[in-house]
Amino acid sequence: MIKAVIRVIGRRLMAIVPVFAIVTILVFGALRILPVDPAQMSLPPSATIQQVEEKREQMGLNKPIWEQYAIWFKRAVAGDLGESAQYRMPTSSVVFERLPATIELVICSLILAVFVGTVGGILLFSARGTPFESVGMTLTSAVMALPDFLLALLFILLFGVLLPIFPVNGRLDPGLQVPAQTGFLLLDSLLTGDIGIFASALRHIALPVMALGLAFSPTIVRVLHSSLINTYQQSYIRQARLRGLSDREILFGQALKNAILPVVILVGTQFGSLFGGTLLVEMIFSFPGLGNLMVKAMQTADLSVIMAIALIYCATTLIFNSLADAAAYLLNPKLRTG
Amino acid sequence: MTERNILHIRDLDISLGTGDKILNGVDLAIAPGKILGVIGESGAGKSMIGSAIADTLPVGLAISRGSIEFDGLTLTDMTAKTRRDLLGRDIGFIPQEPMTALNPTLTIGQQVGRHLARIGIGSARKREQRAIELFTEVGLNRPGELLKNYTHQLSGGMLQRVLIAMAFASNPRLVIADEPTTALDVTVQLKVIDLIAKMREAHNTSVLFITHDLQLAAEVCDDVAVLYAGQIVERGEARSIINEPRHPYSRCLNLATPNLAGPKTRLMILPKAMPSPLERTAMAGCKFTPRCPIAGDLCIGTPPPLSEISAGHRSACHWPERTETITPPPLKADDENTVLGADLVMKATGLGKAYRQHDWLGRVRRVEALRGLDFEVREREFVGIVGESGSGKSTLTKLIVGLEDITAGVLDVVGMDRATTPRERFFDRVQLVFQDPQSALNPRRRIGSLVTQSLECRGSGLSASARKQLAKDLLAKVMLPPDMIDRFPDQLSGGQKQRVNIARALCSNPRLLIADEIVSGLDVSVQAQILELLRELRKQASFSLLLISHDLAVVRHICDRTLVMYRGEIVEQGPVEDIFTNPQHAYTKKLVAAARGNSGLYADATEQEAENEAF
Repeated sequence: MIKAVIRVIGRRLMAIVPVFAIVTILVFGALRILPVDPAQMSLPPSATIQQVEEKREQMGLNKPIWEQYAIWFKRAVAGDLGESAQYRMPTSSVVFERLPATIELVICSLILAVFVGTVGGILLFSARGTPFESVGMTLTSAVMALPDFLLALLFILLFGVLLPIFPVNGRLDPGLQVPAQTGFLLLDSLLTGDIGIFASALRHIALPVMALGLAFSPTIVRVLHSSLINTYQQSYIRQARLRGLSDREILFGQALKNAILPVVILVGTQFGSLFGGTLLVEMIFSFPGLGNLMVKAMQTADLSVIMAIALIYCATTLIFNSLADAAAYLLNPKLRTG
Repeated sequence: MTERNILHIRDLDISLGTGDKILNGVDLAIAPGKILGVIGESGAGKSMIGSAIADTLPVGLAISRGSIEFDGLTLTDMTAKTRRDLLGRDIGFIPQEPMTALNPTLTIGQQVGRHLARIGIGSARKREQRAIELFTEVGLNRPGELLKNYTHQLSGGMLQRVLIAMAFASNPRLVIADEPTTALDVTVQLKVIDLIAKMREAHNTSVLFITHDLQLAAEVCDDVAVLYAGQIVERGEARSIINEPRHPYSRCLNLATPNLAGPKTRLMILPKAMPSPLERTAMAGCKFTPRCPIAGDLCIGTPPPLSEISAGHRSACHWPERTETITPPPLKADDENTVLGADLVMKATGLGKAYRQHDWLGRVRRVEALRGLDFEVREREFVGIVGESGSGKSTLTKLIVGLEDITAGVLDVVGMDRATTPRERFFDRVQLVFQDPQSALNPRRRIGSLVTQSLECRGSGLSASARKQLAKDLLAKVMLPPDMIDRFPDQLSGGQKQRVNIARALCSNPRLLIADEIVSGLDVSVQAQILELLRELRKQASFSLLLISHDLAVVRHICDRTLVMYRGEIVEQGPVEDIFTNPQHAYTKKLVAAARGNSGLYADATEQEAENEAF
């Protein structure tokens, strides 16, 4: 069984490699089409035309685009993503310094979304035929219609201003010392046993996570609800009832495992938009992650940083899609056992 | 009767919210250890009896009168919770479709285990032990391995055995089997029936056996009740009801069923259809009157009581003694001896089909679906193809119509090369009708446009009125009223839909009609209508028919010749009478024996079956 899991996941991940290679070409090409001159951006404004020209030669910008790509690719494979024009530091260290914050945000949001979505879906399904079902349907429609950044602003207003229980910017209270290990604050503070920092980090991340997670959950509620209804029409559910199983046993012991499959696929395919949602939400909460960095990099046309973040977004989405695919595959015994 | 009945249903009414009755005054009783058969066509309400006992009536239906007593307890007075506690413990169920009755994402062991836990077997080790015992009892080989399998890894017959094992696991007082063999192959059907009978004896369980099949009921049941339009029209000992029916409906059903032995007759055709619950409410007298060959004035106004005719035999008819006078219409002179044309419509020489299968490691395996098929179909000839699932019948159809490529031999169909002939020209000559009449018709189109659909791809230039006329003519051919052209498929019954499918196939005057199990989903009386229709059509239009069927009696009834397929080969072919009266190949013998209900012939065939099912 474990062998099968590793094999399936491994095969899915292998399939990503060529897709990812194509994406690097597309992103690289798109950034070179932009009407900005990386050579000029990397020099002080007082630089002469001569200096710019030299810099351009030095950066290889006079070469044909595929040669530039080849150079970039060679360096990227070796771990060198270029230099950030904005920070005058290697792009990789700029990006990786902020990566854990975003990952932490995305994972927490995902957990919240799946939790609220699954519980909500089961509740909505259990309320079928009652007025609560229509109430639930209306409510999920309403939340679905709100984009995540609007939810973020709403939460700031509610829980940051009117009822100030959560902080609305940053990752930690000012003055707290970060015991930097992995960069994941929640994890680091737990590892060092520093409850104060853990609590502070948790309070800071609460609102952005709620904005991202709750924006995603109504879709899960709806999909699980309709998937359960569908499953309950199957004859094995009727048969289970005829064996005298209770409603609870039928729901949790029989139906849920079959009904959860569309949810897994949904989470896999929608993960990209959750990750993309961090861009605005991090901006709104001044959360020091990739999204924030990306916005700054765009303002200053910091091409190597934009490129690196775009590729991270892309790789994460691809990897997550594949994991969801693998999970769906493993949940279906017919595929698994051939 | 000294012993208390296990099940006693008294004067049961099940009604829709509108007050129209699905079941009307049903009285049934089963003594301990007995099998009671409830026979009825779709719409008669037979499955509602099981649902009423289990308290799982569909939304909108409710018991409006009467009571259900089980083992001395009045179910209809109990709370839902107490009733549910009886299910799976004291009342077991065997479902119609074993393939979908178990959860595909759980192993057999998990599902059997949960059931055993529910009926009180505490430890996991004891549950496994008991499961293996039960599986052995129902004749499943390698029970230990089966427990680790998922449903898709087992055949229908094996799954039904698993479900039977589960139903009897708790030594229930009553088992309700709702059409338990309908979805299974012929040779498996009988063994499942035998198994139910055997388990009944071993566990001293009463069985409520719900079926549409008279012959099958006669085979296993002690008593039967015939249900028509929600009412019991005849009740009594199984043998006497099958052999000497005293109600016209039972008699007609019998005469509408094609036989495997005895002289060939035309099938009894009942006019119209069973009245719907709404129509029944408006009928004052006997609900069978509009279709009854012997009905009189009395029948229209006065409902006949279910009165005793002889000891234990009851019939709800004003003139039970007249039942015998109902005879099937005699064969006409031109019914049987059809003059076959000289030309061949189809000829296969050494026909074969092999698939390349990839397993999960990407290894290629060659699977031969068909091997060395030689056969001919002549003009106007009706040829039946019989065989079980997996015998290659469907693959052959696919080869004939060009859905799959031939990998060996030559196949000549209506003298056209499938590779070079444009598809629309090919399908002018070759037409198909499928098993499920419902899904073959686009629900958004009217009947008139459906039956003339094949004109559309050819741009025949027919005017709208000419097309309408053609549609009416085609409907007339299949004996449907012309005003039906403006209806939608959903407004038609199953039998009517299948006629529309046949009319559509005849639109281009095909030379070859392929009918894939076209009557197997239909009720006996509707099946008789369709079969007699095909026989009539042959006289008007000169087409050949390739009838694929699992039912030998159907093939015998209208076909001239038959091919018997087994594991991708034709093991025997010849005129139907020769094949069915004097089968040569071992497999044909087995098929014929199974169809005759002669289970003794393959008492030793358990291994053979295991082999078949693995295949």
